[in-house]
Amino acid sequence: MLKIFFYLTLIILSFKAIAQEKHTLSGYLTDGRNGEAMIGARIFVPSLSQGTLTNTYGFYSITVPSGIYKIEFRVTGLETEIKEIDLSRDVVLNVELGTNMQEIEEVLVNAKKGENINSTKIGQIELEIDQIKTLPAFMGEVDIIKTIQLLPGVSSVSEGGQGFYVRGGGPDQNLVLLDEGVVYNAAHLFGFFSVFNVDAVKSVNLIKGGMPANFGGRMSSVLEVNMNEGNNKRFSYKGGIGAISSRLTIEGPLKKDKGSFIISARRTYIDLIMKAAIPDTSPFYGSSYFFYDLNVKLNYKLTDKDRIYLSGYYGKDMFVFDNKEDNFKVEMPWGNGIAALRWNHLFSNKLFMNVTTTFSDYMFSFGSKQDEFRFALKSGVRDIGSKVDFTYYANTKNRLKWGADYIYHTFTPTSVSAETNEVVFDTGKAQKLYSHESALYILDEFDLNEKIRFNFGLRYSMYHQVGPFTRYQKGGVGVADTSFTYSKGDLIKFYNGLEPRISGRWLLPDKSSIKAGYSYNYQYVHLTSLSAVSLPTDIWYPTTDLAKPQQGWQASIGYFRNFLKDRIETSVEVYYKGMKNLIEYKEGALPGDDINDNTDNLLVFGKGWSYGLELFVKRSYGKLTGWVGYTWSKTERIFPDLNNGKVFPAKYDRRHDLSVVANYKLNDRWTFGACFIFATGNTLTLPSSWYVQEQNLLFNYGERNSTRMAPYHRLDISATLYDKAYKLKTDLLTGEEIQVKKRFRSNWAFSIYNVYNRANPFFLYVDNDGDFLNGDFKITVKQVTLFPIIPSVTWNFEY
Amino acid sequence: MKKVISGLLVLLLFNSCTKEVKIEIPGYAEKIVIDGRIETNFPPVVLLSRTNDIYSPTNLEAYLNGFISGAVLSVSDGTTIFPLIEICTDALPAGTENFAAQFFGIPVEEIANYHLCAYTSFDPEILGQVGKTYTLNVKYDGKTYTSQTTIVPPINSLNTFWKPAKNQTEYGYSWATISDNANQFDGYLWEIRYIHETSYSKPFSPFFDDQFIDGLTFDFAYENPMSFQDASLPDEFKGFYKLGDTLVVKLSKMDEAVYQFMEKKYTQLFSAGNPFATPTNIPSNINGGALGIWAGYSPRFDTLICEL
Repeated sequence: MLKIFFYLTLIILSFKAIAQEKHTLSGYLTDGRNGEAMIGARIFVPSLSQGTLTNTYGFYSITVPSGIYKIEFRVTGLETEIKEIDLSRDVVLNVELGTNMQEIEEVLVNAKKGENINSTKIGQIELEIDQIKTLPAFMGEVDIIKTIQLLPGVSSVSEGGQGFYVRGGGPDQNLVLLDEGVVYNAAHLFGFFSVFNVDAVKSVNLIKGGMPANFGGRMSSVLEVNMNEGNNKRFSYKGGIGAISSRLTIEGPLKKDKGSFIISARRTYIDLIMKAAIPDTSPFYGSSYFFYDLNVKLNYKLTDKDRIYLSGYYGKDMFVFDNKEDNFKVEMPWGNGIAALRWNHLFSNKLFMNVTTTFSDYMFSFGSKQDEFRFALKSGVRDIGSKVDFTYYANTKNRLKWGADYIYHTFTPTSVSAETNEVVFDTGKAQKLYSHESALYILDEFDLNEKIRFNFGLRYSMYHQVGPFTRYQKGGVGVADTSFTYSKGDLIKFYNGLEPRISGRWLLPDKSSIKAGYSYNYQYVHLTSLSAVSLPTDIWYPTTDLAKPQQGWQASIGYFRNFLKDRIETSVEVYYKGMKNLIEYKEGALPGDDINDNTDNLLVFGKGWSYGLELFVKRSYGKLTGWVGYTWSKTERIFPDLNNGKVFPAKYDRRHDLSVVANYKLNDRWTFGACFIFATGNTLTLPSSWYVQEQNLLFNYGERNSTRMAPYHRLDISATLYDKAYKLKTDLLTGEEIQVKKRFRSNWAFSIYNVYNRANPFFLYVDNDGDFLNGDFKITVKQVTLFPIIPSVTWNFEY
Repeated sequence: MKKVISGLLVLLLFNSCTKEVKIEIPGYAEKIVIDGRIETNFPPVVLLSRTNDIYSPTNLEAYLNGFISGAVLSVSDGTTIFPLIEICTDALPAGTENFAAQFFGIPVEEIANYHLCAYTSFDPEILGQVGKTYTLNVKYDGKTYTSQTTIVPPINSLNTFWKPAKNQTEYGYSWATISDNANQFDGYLWEIRYIHETSYSKPFSPFFDDQFIDGLTFDFAYENPMSFQDASLPDEFKGFYKLGDTLVVKLSKMDEAVYQFMEKKYTQLFSAGNPFATPTNIPSNINGGALGIWAGYSPRFDTLICEL
């Protein structure tokens, strides 16, 4: 496979000399107002009815027969630019769009108009950042992941939670990328807020099915978040002051039109609110919580063919619980650090290369102190990786992509220490697990004829678990435990597998198409959770000699049709997903059971499947935009060692899931938003019976996830009031009053979460109170609701 | 960790509300519950009861009706099989009232008012002995349930002491020094009583094992569980022993299966209703599909005088 990969690169490099009868137009598309690369912009040749899209870096390449063509450059939200270009030779044309545009609604275009019909992409959705910003925001925090959760096929883990399930896959099966760096925990505040600061984000793309071969390592989805590059024209800033946090972004040129930077920071004030709320006489004084995050990105155009990008993210949460009465204190910090260095190089006007080196670090720690007893726990994962991707734009009918990636994982599932003044407790060695994950891939997107287009891909992934490592083998009751230690670099286990990815589109009349896709994925990391809700305490655990890689396949087919000149996009998709080597904790496993043991000794393994139907209606432009998404699905699991080996519903099995999202731009000053959600209640396991042992009331649980909570539904609304875009100024020459565009702009964003104050279930529990002998004993099932109606207001500004 | 979880819950539930709901919980199937114990120098005692549907009545009558009489039980020490007889609280042999009251959790003066039955033997040959493995056999309603438990050797020595808590002069915790055996499983149960009382009390988390202390000699402390029942005691002194108190500490050891039952039992008692905890069924050491435990205990005693 490796040889094929290198031969392919050499062959492609030599193509230029052979294919002389056609010529190539290539270059970069940027936003003329700030120099940002235009992602997904469309370059279209009307006379040939052919076109292409810019990639993540704004690069495009289109090869057509020799001739003079009118070429359209379309970017969503901007006026189309048409250029006449003589392609009797290869032409490099970097285009800046939107430099002198007047924002008149009627001339603005949707660059992706009809793209949902034409492309082979199935199960992929791109979100418009500007639209996200005007949707209702929980506590005033505009949130990308909460918007993702409104899409069909995607559901939230719980009220307000950041974890999301895609087509029946677990939250660990989503590859979340920030500028190609892996984000292991995308949540702040125990999951209620996303780590993505919307001011620093340029584009969001969700792939929930038909995953292309250039992505791997996760089974269910890819959430690709790209940061802004920074304004390379002038210095500017923007920010917002909200109910619980504020944010500030500064950007500007490193060298005008050559390079730029962006720094974006955000911090909560929850700790200040708690400090004010807890009197200094309270034993809890000193308890607090805060989070902050920082996004930094630099980019520089080295030559016409070389560009570099350096992206960084650092975010941290800190929870402190202080109870002076019990002389008890806990500190619990957690957070991500991500860095990515990327180099784009153009070997030719058809061959684009990107090399990325990434660093990703997720850390969770817990430290407590009571009197003389101290306890500390650490968990985390650190990745160092590199990848190289080549894209060869053969012609408008064929685009070839290939590459390789590699990650060196260091996992620390649990590292514990405990001591008093006199005694250091034996908590075993810190468990660290090391592994190499690598892959080679190739994909080819080509038109078989005018109606049929295919995207064939093949990915070959490999995984080496290496030492040092200690394998514990529990002896069971009455039998001594044993262990075996591997030295540094020892190969413990090797896994590999081929991952075919195929998708296709068949163009039908009347602006419609049928698409189908099949993908097979290996996943070499697992997220283990002991709790019923997602928490930062959930542990990332790698594939080992015992815990095999998760494997999954998905097949989907959909009918796509647009109406009203592409203003209304609709689709119906059905899918089936099969999964194996899924993990869960053994029944009765407890936190800390893996001390002096391997975490995977506490795990059990099983299979799962999910199938469903998704309906999607979207209006992308006009005064009223938004979508309606509905999903019917069923998700089940079977584990030989759980639930007596019987099939049980996954905890996020939802039969119905409906989202209605709407934005209405009344005029230049007012935009209104609303979203309504209805979802079948989550499943959970509750005790089905009680009994008494030594005068203690004990519960016996029934079948796993056999209880279903009440349905979840909620309506949120928002209104955004923009200041006037123009101010009046007296023309010094004519004395007349003229309108001048204001450089400082601001808006007030008002939101109401849960408008009709629905008491949605967050979790249920069985409560008991009273005494048998007193005759007042009572067992009840109680429902906890987290968020009532919550109004919020945020002031945003931009200069 | 439990306090942290409580803290998290406080934060999480800062704005939350709770209400009672009626929701279908499928999967109920009635099971037999066996609650049996044998301790060094004591006869075996076994209670039989049934599980109850989560929504079943919870009044006293339902509780009392849950106990089973008419079963056939026996205990074997490996060489001899001893049949157990059924004795009921309204016809207790003289001198067993206190033990029965403690066993059923009913005030001794009221014990005769109830008809609660347990199974035991008065044969002196079946008193628990260290090192012996006891097999319980229960026959009821056409089904047979069996279980084994071992009375393991007790801890070599138990040295208890008292010292004042931080910023206190007259109130403090009970402490003990023990030496754990290396390279073997050791599970412990801490119980305590005032010297003038007859029944022992357990603190909030009375069981611990040697996962972190294998082979170590170390000190540990426990709160005063009786103080929480004393309504006359100001809250700030609850949990403490007072200078001058005299107590009897009972530190028992048990086999691993019994410890696992008890560990999960106390985990469930602490975590019931906690969304951060996984639903935990308590692993029984009884074969045949019954719930509960057949537990052998091996205690060592020490008198603790709270003095400096």
